[in-house]
Parts: sequence; structure tokens; C-alpha cells
Amino acid sequence: MKNFKFATTLTICAAVLLSGCAQNTDAVTPAGASEQVQSTQAENLRTNETWAKAAEKGMSAAFGTLHNAGESKLELERVTDLSANTVIEIHDTEGQGTKAAMKQHEGALLINPGEDVVLAPGGTHFMFMDLKSPLVASQTSTLQLEFSDGSKTQVQFPIRNFSGANESYHGSADEHEDHGSH
Amino acid sequence: MTSANLHPSRRVILGGSAAAALGGVFAGFGVGRATADEIPEALAVENPHTQFAAFHGKYQAGILTEPQAHAVFLGSNVHFDGLKKSERIEKIRSILQMLSSDIERLVSGRGVLADTEPEMSHAAAQLTVTVGLGPVILDLLGQSAAEVGALPPFTGEKLDPRYGQSDLIIQCCAQDPTVLHHAVRALRKNLRGITEELFTQTGFTHAAQTVREGQGFRNLFGQLDGTNNPTGQARELAVFGDDQDPSWSPAGTVLVLRRIEMNLDKWDEVDRTGRDFALGRRQSDGSPLSGDSLSDPVDLQAVNAMGLPAIAAHAHVARAKPSSGAEVLWRRGYNYHAENGSGLIFASYQRDPRTSFIPVQQRLAQLDALNEWTTHVGSAIYAILPGVREGEYLGEFLFTAST
Ligand code: HEM
Ligand SMILES: [Cu+2]
Repeated sequence: MKNFKFATTLTICAAVLLSGCAQNTDAVTPAGASEQVQSTQAENLRTNETWAKAAEKGMSAAFGTLHNAGESKLELERVTDLSANTVIEIHDTEGQGTKAAMKQHEGALLINPGEDVVLAPGGTHFMFMDLKSPLVASQTSTLQLEFSDGSKTQVQFPIRNFSGANESYHGSADEHEDHGSH
Repeated sequence: MTSANLHPSRRVILGGSAAAALGGVFAGFGVGRATADEIPEALAVENPHTQFAAFHGKYQAGILTEPQAHAVFLGSNVHFDGLKKSERIEKIRSILQMLSSDIERLVSGRGVLADTEPEMSHAAAQLTVTVGLGPVILDLLGQSAAEVGALPPFTGEKLDPRYGQSDLIIQCCAQDPTVLHHAVRALRKNLRGITEELFTQTGFTHAAQTVREGQGFRNLFGQLDGTNNPTGQARELAVFGDDQDPSWSPAGTVLVLRRIEMNLDKWDEVDRTGRDFALGRRQSDGSPLSGDSLSDPVDLQAVNAMGLPAIAAHAHVARAKPSSGAEVLWRRGYNYHAENGSGLIFASYQRDPRTSFIPVQQRLAQLDALNEWTTHVGSAIYAILPGVREGEYLGEFLFTAST
């Protein structure tokens, strides 16, 4: 599905795409990105198919594909919720089926040059830890992605209804008992 | 998995513009359309039933489009409880943004975001999804239009609120029922929690290619329906008007949706002569009683061997025949068969129902030989939104004006 072979056309394509879609989850080049001397990590990030799972309260998660269009690695250190200020953690999921459990990702999330990290139900994801306001389908959640070089970029996560992604959380046990789904 | 239609690829079938081609290269990022890798391109293009319909355009798809074999009309009401006016407007806006994204993806063969079965939309089945707003929503947006006013009551109707007016209408049509129902489910899933469904009306005509395009369909009375529908430019004019005289909005139109129950058991008792007499056309080949082939005109002056009018004055076509250009409407109906009855999902598109649907239906309600076997049980009217260009969402212009 992912197609990053056409790196040379990327910039042009991004320009075409920037005219925007209704809810643009397509690749977006952060403002100012170009062939200049050294791009920041944020400028080398491309995102695709981003979305967040609707939820009233408790936990939820955001998914999508993160692509490194640059020549050096991206280290995503922090994700912050600009829309509602909910604490966001980067999680991995271990195990499968009913045994699937997730835990916080250790260190920064690494994206090697030219590669993708796919955030998906049952895999790595951005976790809304305790929603400060509901994530309502049809609305959009804006998350800020912050990298190890201090650069940051904002990414839109259109909110959609989704019944899956119910892995349990093996964090601090007390906190998450009643947040069965996310 | 070798079946061609199951593979989305980056090959682009739509127009030849550079932007589209680039978009195709970039389809991993969501602009191109899924297409059949293994199917020879020529075949995919030549068969009108295995294509993807375009989403962007002057008009929304699914209006002038020759009716696909299957349709679902989804009527839903928006949850507004406790919201201020500005929040209500914002809610409509976000719903239209989401629908635009969902529709663009579905009609190009990709599932919606968060789709759990995106494979079900890969087959090119000429899916179209057409969106309209009820009068209450137009009012809310400060766009009230006389063309989209509530319909007056008509003699003889027995309206069931189950099939009544809703805030939103989503008309989904496709040649393939499986693709269609996946699209409907995907759209509904995303609307869950923000809207409440009033009705789902499912309709059908004929499997693609079993009837010649533009020849109408057999309704459940067995009649050829759609013969005297406007075609080509006449259809476009009847539906959208022109620059001087557009509908409620340029490139927008009005949908009248009536659910008409047909009493098939009683109709069974009527012989051929009685049936043809009531319609004014022959069930056999659809020809008018004033002629002998399908393409002959409905001539109300024509007399038969006994010197009587060939088409009775109260025959359906005699009463329905438009008395002027302003009365012309484009009927894009579907048969339905449900647990509680069978009939016609009468869907007509017209520039202004006040000059077309309303006077015609008033005439029919007053006198139409077919009324003996038909009952209108559902009724609603919608402002159908204009088409959008790439980068726009449906109805976007309504918000720049009101906020
Ligand atoms: C269950 C109800 C109905 C049935 C079974 C029915 C059936 C038909 C049939 C078989 C024809 C002849 C073929 C054709 O030209 O399409 C026809 C013509 C037509 N019908 Fe209906 N119809 C129904 C309701 C309506 C309604 C509600 C309207 C509009 C208010 C309408 C408007 C027309 C018009 C305008 C024509 C074409 C007349 C002409 O110019 O020759 N029909 N209908
Ligand atoms: Cu998690």
C-alpha cells in the first residue's frame, strides 16, 4: 500500500496535495520544508491515513502512518494534544488477541530514513490517557509531534467511530481498570 | 486474491491531467483511485458498470447519472440537544467534512478511514453517494430557500412518519449490492453517535446490463417506467436550471423522495386491457396507446377505432404529462420490497418543485387511474448540494456565508 519509491516527486506531489482535501489526512509537508541545506526532523515527517478513535471518556488512541522522507533518522520524543490537552503516551502492543496488552514505548519512537512506522490498532499507537474532553466522530484532533532536535509539527487526526483496539493496558494497574477500551 | 478487482493500485483511470497523474503516483497517500491491476485497462474503461464514479465535479454524482442497479436512501437526524446555534452549525460542518472524506474514499475504491473491511470497496461498481440537507438545516445555516419548502399535503396520501422528513439524506447507488452495502455501513458507522437514523430505504432495478441504458426499468406492476424521462441537456435543465434560473443554489438541485406503496395483490386481479388503460401505455413493450412503438409520443388527441380517446383522460401518463417545460422533472426511482409492503421509491430531481413536482402530483392526487392501487406513505424534500472541486468539502460555501 505505502509507496515511497517516488521520492523525487514527493515535493511536487505534496504541493498538489496541499490544496487540501476535505479532511486531509494525506501527506503534508510542514510549512517551509524544501530542498534547503538541512531540514529539521519535523520537516522530514510525512503522515498518511491518520485518525483517532472516538471516545466519550477514559482512554483512546490515534493511528496512521509516519514516514521519514529525510536522510537521517527521526526521533519522536513527545506527542501533545493541542485540541484538548489530554496527556498522550506512545504505546506498543504485545501479544495477540485477548492476551494483547500495551505498554509505554521505551525512549523515543525511531523512524529510519525512507521508512515508515505504522501506528495501528494492535500495534504501536498514540494513547490518549484520560480524555479531558470527548473525541467526537467527524471532528478532528490536532496533535503536536515533537522531535529530538527540538523541531515540532502539527498533525490532524480526523476522529472516527471504531469498535476495535481494545487491548488492555499494563501500566499502573489502578488507573486503567475502568478504561477497558481505547 | 488473484481476482483483479481486489487489488487497489496506483494506476489512475480518471482524467489525464497532470495533477491527477501525480496524485496517482502518490496514491499510497490517498489521492489516486483503486483500480484493477490485472484487468486490461481497456476493459475496465469500456465497461461502464465496472468503473469508479468521479467524486469531484460541477454537480454531485448520482443525480444525472443513469440509475445504477441498487440504491439505499439513508435519512438521518442530527443530535442537536443542548447545543447553541453556533455549535449546531459547527456540527453540520464537521459532518459534511467527514462525509466528503468518506465519500471521496469510497467512490474511488478505498475504504473510509478506520474501515475494518476496506477490501469490500475495491470492486469498481460505479458507486455514487449524493448528499442533501433538509429544510430545517438550510434554515439553521441561514440559507432558507423557497424551492426547498415543505411539500403541501396531497389528497389520498397516508404518510408514515417513519419515512418522513429528515435533516440529512444520503443517496447511495451502485451496480453491486455488496459494494453498496459496505459503503452504507461504513458511512453509518461514522455517523453513529452524532446522528440518529430515521430511515433506510433500499431499492433496486435490474442487474447492470440486463436492460439497455436509458430505457428505464420494470416497476413492480410490470410496467416499463422512465420512458418519458428527460435526457441529455433537457435533463440537466430540468434538474439544475440554468445561470439565469438556477435551483436553490447554482449547481444544486432539489430531491423529492416519496415512498409509494403498490398493492400488487389487487393489481394481480386486473387484466391486461385494464392495466394498459390505467397507465395509457402497454405493459408488453411500453408503447403508448396512441401509437405502437415505445418511442411514439403520448398523444392525448389521438382516437381509437371507436372514435374514443386512445389514452383515457384519467390514465396516469395523461395526468402526469408535463403541461410546460417548467413542469418537467427527472424521475430516478427504484423498486422496493420490504417486510411491510412493496412499491416505488419515487425520487425526483428538479430545479423547483413548486413549478414541477407539486403541480404534477396535485393533478395525480386529484385524478389518476393508477391511484386505485397506489398509496403514498413517505414524503421528504431535500436541498441537494452542488458538486465540489478537489480540496473542497460538500456544502463548504454555506459556512463561509454564515460564520
Ligand atoms: C407508484 C406510483 C407510480 C407508478 C407505478 C408510475 C408509473 C409510471 C409509468 C409506468 C410511466 C410510463 C413510462 C414513463 O414515461 O416513464 C409513468 C410516467 C410518468 N410518471 Fe409515473 N408513476 C408513479 C408515480 C408518479 C408520480 C408520483 C409522479 C410525479 C408526481 C409521476 C410522474 C410521471 C411522469 C411525469 C411521467 C411521464 C409522463 C409523460 O410525459 O409521458 N409518476 N409513470
Ligand atoms: Cu495504548
